[in-house]
Amino acid sequence: MITRLIGLAAIVMVVPSLAAAQTGAAAPQTGVPAPAPAAGRGAPPPANYPPYTRPVSTYVPPRTPDGQPDISGLYLAIPLPRNIETPSVPMAARGPNRANGEFSYSLNERPKLPEGAIVRPAGVDPADGKIPLKPEAMQLRKEIIANQEKIERLDGRVLCLSPGIPRSTVPAPVVGYQIFQKPGYVVIFYEQSHLYRTIPLDGRAPLDPKIQKAMGVSRGHWEGNVLVVEVTNFTNNLENNWVIGAVSATPGIPAESLATGHGIPHSDVYRVTERYTPIDANTIHYEAVINDEKVFTQPWTLAWYGFARAPKDYVPIEYACFEGNAKNLLLMTNTDISGIRVNVP
Amino acid sequence: MNKPVTTRGAIVAAILAIGFSVAAQAQRGTPPRPPAAPAAPAKSGYSGPRTPDRKPDLNGIWQVMNTAHWNLEAHSATEGVPAGFSVVEGGSIPYQPQALAKRNENFKDRLTADPIRKCYMPGVPRSTYMPFPFEITQTPKHIGIAYEFAHATRTIFLDGTPHMEDLDFWMGDGRGRWEGDTLVIDTVSLGGETWFDQAGNFHSDALKVTERLTPTDANHIDYEVTIEDPKVFTRPWKMHMIVYRRIEKDLELLDYECTEHVYEKLFQQKTGKP
Repeated sequence: MITRLIGLAAIVMVVPSLAAAQTGAAAPQTGVPAPAPAAGRGAPPPANYPPYTRPVSTYVPPRTPDGQPDISGLYLAIPLPRNIETPSVPMAARGPNRANGEFSYSLNERPKLPEGAIVRPAGVDPADGKIPLKPEAMQLRKEIIANQEKIERLDGRVLCLSPGIPRSTVPAPVVGYQIFQKPGYVVIFYEQSHLYRTIPLDGRAPLDPKIQKAMGVSRGHWEGNVLVVEVTNFTNNLENNWVIGAVSATPGIPAESLATGHGIPHSDVYRVTERYTPIDANTIHYEAVINDEKVFTQPWTLAWYGFARAPKDYVPIEYACFEGNAKNLLLMTNTDISGIRVNVP
Repeated sequence: MNKPVTTRGAIVAAILAIGFSVAAQAQRGTPPRPPAAPAAPAKSGYSGPRTPDRKPDLNGIWQVMNTAHWNLEAHSATEGVPAGFSVVEGGSIPYQPQALAKRNENFKDRLTADPIRKCYMPGVPRSTYMPFPFEITQTPKHIGIAYEFAHATRTIFLDGTPHMEDLDFWMGDGRGRWEGDTLVIDTVSLGGETWFDQAGNFHSDALKVTERLTPTDANHIDYEVTIEDPKVFTRPWKMHMIVYRRIEKDLELLDYECTEHVYEKLFQQKTGKP
């Protein structure tokens, strides 16, 4: 029975975090200039990235039988060109770095950015590219990153929990998406951990806040050819449900540098506005505006070219994360979950 | 091929049944008349809405209402388990003797040994008759099925592509085709680690599942499943049930994030907090 173990990816993600936590107080690593003193919020972006503007697309997709812009089909993630956040050192001075967009894929074929796309970190607003954490959220983050040997502090994705939004669109550890459209709905199947979302387009009311979902509750509408989705009602029963997490923490970067998205659980008021902009017949640009007044000092935005149409012969493969995870967790944290049984109806 | 009996065909059959066989041939071109007596429940004659490619429209949320999830065979109620009829054609599953012994052992150990108590995906066809709804999204080339339990999914390929080789999947490799108004799904590569129900009914990695979904109207699907597994059973056998459309307004699938409950339980054990 195939169970694509998340093991390798998990170790890649965890070990650098440990290293980061352990070397955080040490002198700056050789070859890497010390980060400049933190600039205030709203400081101008590094000179090598122009300010983010939403892509304006002139592409008009064909229409589905019920008149939606037709973006259906199989897609692959386009690799993120940089970390989630702006690197803490200017690009020109940056040494070679395995996390510099070069994370591993389950596929040999890596989609390319569309012509003219700006290569930049995914964190595009605020202008300094850093996640605007409140001090108490930063404190919790440090505590989580410093305790990565404890299972209760591990990344939810390593535990095979559903990573929520926008994390399910961050292209790791697997990269396939299937967008379906049916009258009144857009449905997205993620190859990662067989996640899915059904997005109603009929303007229905949000659900009772007492109903929470790991992938949130989605309400969508088309603005011209752009699919806009409001996502609310996220699960927050476990602190392992992180808002984001880089594909890997950059070795040697301390928690304070904000060079990764690790260790940020969201609160009960967390909500996300997504925009899916078709750029051409094969490319969709993705933007997510993140709101959580209990965790962040202001809304912040991730944006990147998220989806490239898959090759014609591409077949999505089941990624059964949890089914093989007992051994993985035993290996990483010496925690045996194999004996745990849950009640099901 | 199982060509569906069309409405006209049904009428012709009814007329034949009341003895106008010669006349019926002559009446082919005449407008259909209502049958004289209620016909037996027909497997076809689908009257519900259709998709733009003229297939029965299966889009929506569906659920089975029976006790197959607890036990495919007839059973009285036990604690937490409602009583139920057998969904197996002929009543009992035709196990080979050793396999029957294994099933009985599974039954004894069911509260711990059932794979879904470890939050594994339930496999096929069990996902269909779990006591949770599932949602069908239908396109000409693919049918996506999203299940509320453990957010399992299936993508059924209708594009004529063959099964993949040398890979097993918890939810199998399903390839579908329309035979008239019946959606036929052949699923293989299911592995040997899932069960059919909570009563320990099981299969091996040689399992082949053929599902026939015949919508009878907008809100009902006649669901017939043929199970083939020569390592476990003496012959192929069938289960049969009705799948009902959930017609509540604005219904949507919610979560049964089974793995969350595993960690909640683990963390409670570790911290001693309730």
